[in-house]
Amino acid sequence: MKPILLHGHERAITQIKYNREGDLLFSASKDNKPNVWYSLNGERLGTFNGHQGAVWCIDVDWTTTKFMSGAGDNTFKIWDCETGREIGNIQTASSVRTCLFSYSANMAVYTTDKAMKQPCEMFIIDTRTIDDSISVQDPIMRIPVKGPRVSAILWDNVEEMIITGHENGELTQWDLKTGKQLSSVKEHDNIINDMQWNKDGTMFITASKDHTAKLFDSESLMLLKTYKTERPVNSAAVSPIFEHVVLGGGQDAMDVTTTSTRIGKFDSRFLPYGI
Amino acid sequence: MAKKKVDDKSSQNDGNTKSDGDLSSNDEEPNFSDPEGFVDDITDEELLGDILKQKPKETDGVESVIVVDGVPQVGPNRLEKLKSVINKVFVKFGNIVNEYYPVTPEGTTKGYIFIEYSSPVHAAEAVKVTNNFKLDKQHTFQVNLFTDFAKYELIPIKWDPPEPQPYQGQADLHYYLLEPDAYDQFAVVTAQGQSVQIWQNTQPDPVVIEERNNWTQTYIKWSPLGTYLSTFHKLGIALWAGPNFSQYKRFAHVGVQFIDFSPCEKYLVTYSPQGDPHNPDMKRIIIWDIRTGLEKRSFNPEGPTAWPIFRWSHDDKYFARIGSNNDALQVYETPSFGLLDKKSIKINGIRDFNWSPTDNVVAYWVAEDKDVPASVTLLEFPNRNEIRKKNLFNVADCKIHWQKSGDYLCVKVDRYSKVRKEKNETKYSGVYCNFEVFHMKEKQIPVDSVECKEPIQAFAWEPVGSKFAMIHGESPNINVSFYEVRVGQAPILLKKFEKRACNHLFWSPGGQFIVLAGLGSNGGGSLEFVDTHEFLIMNSTDHYQMSDVEWDPTGRYVITGVSFWKTKVDTGYWIWSFQGKILKRVNLEKFAQILWRPRPPTLLSEEKQKEIKKNLKKYYPQFESKDRMRQSKASKELIEKRAALMEKFQSHREQRIKEWMENKARRLALRNNIDTDELDADTENVEEEVVEFFIKEEVTVLE
Repeated sequence: MKPILLHGHERAITQIKYNREGDLLFSASKDNKPNVWYSLNGERLGTFNGHQGAVWCIDVDWTTTKFMSGAGDNTFKIWDCETGREIGNIQTASSVRTCLFSYSANMAVYTTDKAMKQPCEMFIIDTRTIDDSISVQDPIMRIPVKGPRVSAILWDNVEEMIITGHENGELTQWDLKTGKQLSSVKEHDNIINDMQWNKDGTMFITASKDHTAKLFDSESLMLLKTYKTERPVNSAAVSPIFEHVVLGGGQDAMDVTTTSTRIGKFDSRFLPYGI
Repeated sequence: MAKKKVDDKSSQNDGNTKSDGDLSSNDEEPNFSDPEGFVDDITDEELLGDILKQKPKETDGVESVIVVDGVPQVGPNRLEKLKSVINKVFVKFGNIVNEYYPVTPEGTTKGYIFIEYSSPVHAAEAVKVTNNFKLDKQHTFQVNLFTDFAKYELIPIKWDPPEPQPYQGQADLHYYLLEPDAYDQFAVVTAQGQSVQIWQNTQPDPVVIEERNNWTQTYIKWSPLGTYLSTFHKLGIALWAGPNFSQYKRFAHVGVQFIDFSPCEKYLVTYSPQGDPHNPDMKRIIIWDIRTGLEKRSFNPEGPTAWPIFRWSHDDKYFARIGSNNDALQVYETPSFGLLDKKSIKINGIRDFNWSPTDNVVAYWVAEDKDVPASVTLLEFPNRNEIRKKNLFNVADCKIHWQKSGDYLCVKVDRYSKVRKEKNETKYSGVYCNFEVFHMKEKQIPVDSVECKEPIQAFAWEPVGSKFAMIHGESPNINVSFYEVRVGQAPILLKKFEKRACNHLFWSPGGQFIVLAGLGSNGGGSLEFVDTHEFLIMNSTDHYQMSDVEWDPTGRYVITGVSFWKTKVDTGYWIWSFQGKILKRVNLEKFAQILWRPRPPTLLSEEKQKEIKKNLKKYYPQFESKDRMRQSKASKELIEKRAALMEKFQSHREQRIKEWMENKARRLALRNNIDTDELDADTENVEEEVVEFFIKEEVTVLE
């Protein structure tokens, strides 16, 4: 297998996502322009132009018709996947840090940062029809998040609850019917960088700066397994076909100049998950 | 006493007035008196607890009274004057409540007085300070507590011998040596003593045998024979010993930072560089007897000196230090802790000294002074015989290295070819190095010389045997040379390894094997395990940023550590076999210190040791089968444990997958009845799309 290098971004990559079929790859970076690529050969299909700040989060719906992005310019945008045209724009009070389509893509969620004297908030909006009016529509639900900001988010596949990962390592489960917090656990000591479902959405894996990745049960938030490393973990995923997890991470970018490549441990690791 | 009576009276009065009130009540007024049979359930403490606290006790008065004897006897006309003089002396210690001057029928005072203070503390202070106070030439005060008179009067005439206390047997301090498999222990300290763990290096995996949080406040130290573990605290040192590491002794010395044990573990030297700000009288160096816990002698060091300031002879009989102006060697003897022969040994310009590890011989060197050359001298104790002296020329510096078995002494002499004086500094140029090897066990102690033109990075004697190793040269041309010393011969070069990346030498305690290590940030953490029998490099590897290398006391294992004190990332320790095979990697956040527990020297005679060595082949199979059994047992346990965990996980998974299947209808509803559980689950919805990519263009020119 030959790696394909994707040249297109001018600044640090913040998030990448495949569409459901895996033929397209979406990428976001601090250079304001999310890109979409053919995953087969790495050819760039297009860019989504319009943000004025670093793009922190992106997501694409299951039919690959709608794409959304949240950025440091205090906007949250929805795009038409096929044309790359901006079809919806919402002004927010602070940076948009995470965003996600629901399972049916009839709804979407985004969270804003606790910054500029604004609290961290979670917004759930209707995305069935998207036009200019979306910027003035009230969200379906607006949930204030007390405490540290949301750094990673997951939505279950029956649209009943959302799980948020926080800057201090906390995990919180929210009931979407009531907008209330269901339960909360704190198993990590540092920011949760990423969370991903396993294939059937019954378990998820968290990647944290506290040098560990952890596997949780989605219903009870029960800790199933801890994967220890010596470096911050930036991302983690569960294999859909094998009993493996893969972790990616390494030295913080800002510390890279002070460490040699040999001890930086910028590598991926495959680990068995059951035991 | 008087005060108490008044109080008593008033309380009685209180009772009276109350009953008076009851009596005076007339019919018109409601009856306040208690009904018959009423029991007051409120205690006095609840009602007037704050006042009761001040209630005087009988002892208050007596304990606050002092008796002053030796007071001038004066007539009534001068009584007032005397009172004012006495008052001036005693009022300093507290409030005088009462004073009494007994007088004769004629009115002259009797020469003793009573003074009562408001508190026994004041009385005690007055006694402490004014006893033997000289008022004038004729009068000296004898001051005592009033209670002391009663105490001494009551001494029974018949003396009962004290009951013999039952003997408290102490735990076996050497239990760890009785471990049947001769496993060694090591101690691990993490993050400023927050946690100390004692491990037993069992096979195949070490086990923790003791773990305590905040056991020490800085670091730990084993005693030289391994009997005691010492921990450092703000108020002093604690020693721990025995099977459960129970506290053995405490040595109070505020601000102690450094300690040193005497080689036989009889004495402990503690050093508090800053002293105690609240107690300026506390000496900064204290020598203690470990078994009794008593202070034997204390010192205040003059000027900055290298630790350990005191150096011990091998048998704990003597300890010595260099005098304050580098002009004398002060040798003290135990157990008297006085100077040997009551005087120090005048040696002008003494720079450094060291005791032989096996004999009562001191090697010291003296710097050159005008026309007198520098010299190295061997001095025997207690008779102070000079058994060997060697003059040296053009000496910049000397380092004294004794071989552990005391057979050889090597003095590394830094010599110069030119010297310049610049202001107050002496600058040497063209420095080269001589090794002066003293053959201690031969007649008249012959001395051989080895010269080395390159700068020396490290030098080390083989602890057992007759080899020494040194690292010399400048980066990147660092070489390691091995020499052997033989009877009646100059040392011969055995082997030279060229272009190595190391800066420290670590011989195995048993000799023969050596680890060449590159410590610190410049060293790169390189490790080479060398067998000096045939100069075979058994393994060449590294432990990045390594700061420590520790051989276990038997020479079977090596631990390399990256300490939190030196670097912040990847701290932890790795355990290697003596051949350089990695056995265990332990990455431990904030790992600070690791120390093997030392062992006392073997009790086997030399013949017996030789015999064992000769018959080693006989023992091999026994140990090997033992090791194999342990290995298979451990792996079996591990497999079972894993299988159980996996089973638990699988049953949990099955349950959750079942729930997932049940939700299938809901998922379908959300996605327009399109099954997206698998990519190709819904065959009707798959649309094949052909996308053409421009891959490559080839231009072929047709002729």
